[in-house]
Amino acid sequence: MMAEEFEPKIVAFLCKWCSSAGSDLAGVSRMEYPPNVVPITVMCSGSVSPLYILSAFNKGADGVLVSGCHPGDCHYIKGNYYARRRIALVKELLEFIGLEPERFQMSWVSAAEGLKYTQIIKNFVQSLKPLGPQTKLRRNP
Amino acid sequence: MVNIEDLRNNAKKLLEDGKVKYIIGFKKAANGLRPVPVFIDKPEDAAKLIWDPLCIHNLTRFLVDEKRRKARQKEPDLRPVGLVVKGCDSRAVNVLLQEKFIDRADIHIIGVSCENTGVVDEKKLAEKLKEKTVEKIEFGDNDEFVVTTDKGKIKVASSEILADRCLECPAHVAVVYDVLIGDHTKRKLDDSYKSLDKMESLTREERWAFWKEQLEKCIRCYACRSACPMCYCDECVVDTITFAVTADTTAEEKAQKIKWIEKSPVLSENFIYHFIRAIHLAGRCIDCGECERACPLDIPLRFLNKKLEKEAKKLFGYDAGFDPEAPSLVSCFKEEDPEDFIR
Repeated sequence: MMAEEFEPKIVAFLCKWCSSAGSDLAGVSRMEYPPNVVPITVMCSGSVSPLYILSAFNKGADGVLVSGCHPGDCHYIKGNYYARRRIALVKELLEFIGLEPERFQMSWVSAAEGLKYTQIIKNFVQSLKPLGPQTKLRRNP
Repeated sequence: MVNIEDLRNNAKKLLEDGKVKYIIGFKKAANGLRPVPVFIDKPEDAAKLIWDPLCIHNLTRFLVDEKRRKARQKEPDLRPVGLVVKGCDSRAVNVLLQEKFIDRADIHIIGVSCENTGVVDEKKLAEKLKEKTVEKIEFGDNDEFVVTTDKGKIKVASSEILADRCLECPAHVAVVYDVLIGDHTKRKLDDSYKSLDKMESLTREERWAFWKEQLEKCIRCYACRSACPMCYCDECVVDTITFAVTADTTAEEKAQKIKWIEKSPVLSENFIYHFIRAIHLAGRCIDCGECERACPLDIPLRFLNKKLEKEAKKLFGYDAGFDPEAPSLVSCFKEEDPEDFIR
């Protein structure tokens, strides 16, 4: 019998105005993409606290995605710029501690980019599969 | 050279004139080598003040307590507090000013110069002078310390016993002060982030093994948080506030009390605690080394903060604690901030 393939679990923080609408577009357009994502709509990518990201890893996420509007398109004018700065620091520190950089990603997805959203998820799942489950930061691995 | 009499006379005058309500400084410890913080409110006690390379504490932390104390008093004494600061400590003052946590009028800053050197690492000192008992350490003339031991005076090159952080320090003299005791020196600095080199040259799995070993030790005594001048939040995200749920507790109230982190000192929770602390100190930590000094388990916490300091400089050109008027690291952005990691 073939061993069951590892299916990573991804927690995606999507901003309400762009990325969440983008993922909706992917859905209503019947685009196919892996079902490994748990989407969480937040008001803005700038409202994603580093604690949300850590908490997701802590509670068993194999990968975390933060996605917001393209620069200049933020519904709140500049929330995504703040997010970009903060997330860059979180990413550097996660790598410094020894987490695989593939496990944490950020993307810009607009409300019209349903296709891009599916691509990002497909690639994310592909890059997580060889890594296996995330046990480093997980509570009771 | 730093003349301690200058420091004492200055402090005495301030107290005699009633310009400050008290002065926070260092005094000789009753036992042990390392000086201890002292609060002086009488002019005659100003003679107790000292300043030498073993004054390692960051006294800025006391401003946090002072602010709370003042808030509780009905008729607080509104005179400023005198505070003795080294270069690193003065940067902490700058960050507190930048964040509008304190008002410049609330403090009278007595800056001291590290005379081209810095503070001594007691472990390195003990290692260096194994057979001798150290009685006193003074600043020397060129990059050296004069150590008085039971077997006479010896000169030790500063690079041999300086604390690691002082070897990478960009501010050897207070950067903000009302009065400066000592010379305005400028130390040559080759690499501000040298201590990170070894760590960054390790492979990812080696780094993880290192941090796993270190963070597993943590007993969550929160000494690092208590010693840190920047950890002044009234409520900390890692504290679970005991919260009585009654019949009329709304869903919203419950949702506000999310338990982000367990109290138990296990690796996964320790990791969140130290990681979030490091992130909250990004662009604010001025590398005074108090967290590491306070840690009873010798966790090299400084590396986490230093790493973020390095990235803040590399990615955003940001230096903490030099400009009290500048916006803080994560409350500002530039159009051209790097985004090559974003898909």
